[in-house]
Amino acid sequence: TLRLIYTTTAVQRKNVGASGPEKYTEEFIKKQIEEFNLGKRHLANMMGEDPETFTQEDIDRAIAYLFPSGLFDRQARPMMKHPTAIFPEQRKIQWGEDGRPFHFLFYTGKQSYYSLMHETYEKLLNAQKYQDQLTAQDLPPQKEKRNLAGSRWLTKIELEEMLLEKLSDDDYSRFIQLLQKLMTLPCGDIEEKYIQKFTKEVPVQLEKAVTEPLKYDERGVAFSTGEGTRKTSRATAVVYDNGTGKITVNGIDVLHYFPVLQDREQLLFPFQFLDRVGKHDMVCTVSGGGRSSQAGAIRLASAKALRSFVTEKEVEFMRQAGLLTVDPRVRERKKPGQEGARRKFTWKKR
Amino acid sequence: RLTQVRWSRYNPSFIEPEVNKELYRKPWEELSEEEKKKLELKAVQPIKAAPPSVSSSVFSDPMVSKFTNMMMKGGNKVLARSLMSQTLEAIKRKQLEKYHKAPEDEKETIECNPYVIFHQALKNCQPIIGLSSITKGGKTYQVPVPLKDNRKRFLAMKWLITQCRENKSRRMLMPEKLSLELLQAFNNEGPIIKKKHTLHKMAEANRAYAHFRWW
Repeated sequence: TLRLIYTTTAVQRKNVGASGPEKYTEEFIKKQIEEFNLGKRHLANMMGEDPETFTQEDIDRAIAYLFPSGLFDRQARPMMKHPTAIFPEQRKIQWGEDGRPFHFLFYTGKQSYYSLMHETYEKLLNAQKYQDQLTAQDLPPQKEKRNLAGSRWLTKIELEEMLLEKLSDDDYSRFIQLLQKLMTLPCGDIEEKYIQKFTKEVPVQLEKAVTEPLKYDERGVAFSTGEGTRKTSRATAVVYDNGTGKITVNGIDVLHYFPVLQDREQLLFPFQFLDRVGKHDMVCTVSGGGRSSQAGAIRLASAKALRSFVTEKEVEFMRQAGLLTVDPRVRERKKPGQEGARRKFTWKKR
Repeated sequence: RLTQVRWSRYNPSFIEPEVNKELYRKPWEELSEEEKKKLELKAVQPIKAAPPSVSSSVFSDPMVSKFTNMMMKGGNKVLARSLMSQTLEAIKRKQLEKYHKAPEDEKETIECNPYVIFHQALKNCQPIIGLSSITKGGKTYQVPVPLKDNRKRFLAMKWLITQCRENKSRRMLMPEKLSLELLQAFNNEGPIIKKKHTLHKMAEANRAYAHFRWW
């Protein structure tokens, strides 16, 4: 027999954390959307703008004007956004009134993931059947060149958002392997559309920087400027055409400013790569940092300046040689409880 | 561990830069299918910045810069680099002396290029097989194990540097000692080659435990 032992209300209260994040009902979200739209019109009236053409950027500007805040964290400042941006998408209740679930894979725990895997495998089988039909009719398999370089697969986080379900790394890798297998088969248009749902376009031209045209100074000599940074150094370089290969840094000759061979090698690296060692003159200013970081900054600046003298293909070669990327490595901060950034204090047994 | 210790400031999608000028000089038609595909892929991917020790000139050699980094103490790259250049100069001088003293027919066999001597000496010092301690049933056995390329190069360089630092007579400078060791290694003599041979003999002696290796 069981006896009821004296308990307090605190123990009887359900564990708050175990129920998961707050669940919003559909009516609640709908009400929030209506309130948001009304509030948008009120805000537009207050600011004196037209309520019909009031965009999200206008709302942000209005809120920043009416409620100025000095907080650093952008998420902590007052914001007014559409409810779908604030409340994360949640799944509706997956079972009916009698307790019977709607989807046949509900009891696997990851119903959308497994249903997706089933669909993809069906497409794979269809593609194989199509291929078998073609070989049976002795027709050559179609080889369509898909642009591999322009697209990438969805990341795990994006896939989780799409399925509204948590995935593990293993599940994600299995799914990607299936998709890759599907892609390698000579599949037709149907599977193309299906695969496109899971790919994202990557901008093929990574040349977001526009090459500036050459400028001409009083004597008629072409020149161009470039800026470069490395660690704490900031450098500006002006590269002149029809020169002898003289380099001046902060008004001082390069041999006196950089006595170390390695730094001078770095300065000449872009010119040597393009085979234009004795053809250009350079005047640069640099401040901050140490000797090696100043050399790296000037190298970046001169490479950027040389872009305007050179064809597009050579600019791409420079980029692939690593001359045009800003080096993001900076000094790591010292952490408390350690002697340096990585070095720990000497471990003493007692 | 939740956060990784060896993280880098670059996004993991970034790729190492290719500095060699010759690869970029080839015209489009001469490239094979694979290389064309690789180029297309590379056009989309972002690339890391080239490190300061690497340059496209003929004088920069990845092996030599690796060796200078290993010789460096306390971040003093200037000193390490000067020592390295003095070593190469010393090697060249010694070889030229030998060249001028030798009779006509031997003149062709003497190698004067210090970079070639350096590479060949390192190659001669590299062990083929190494020992790894594996604990089985309470006892630790020294099991012969094939080494990776990186590990071989590292061991050769490490032996060279430690040998030069310990076994030198008083007042003998590093460049002299290093050039001596390199020339000896080039001719397959000297203490480092002996060390390599002892390691091989130990591995041969412990052949019985070779089946303990599971990788």
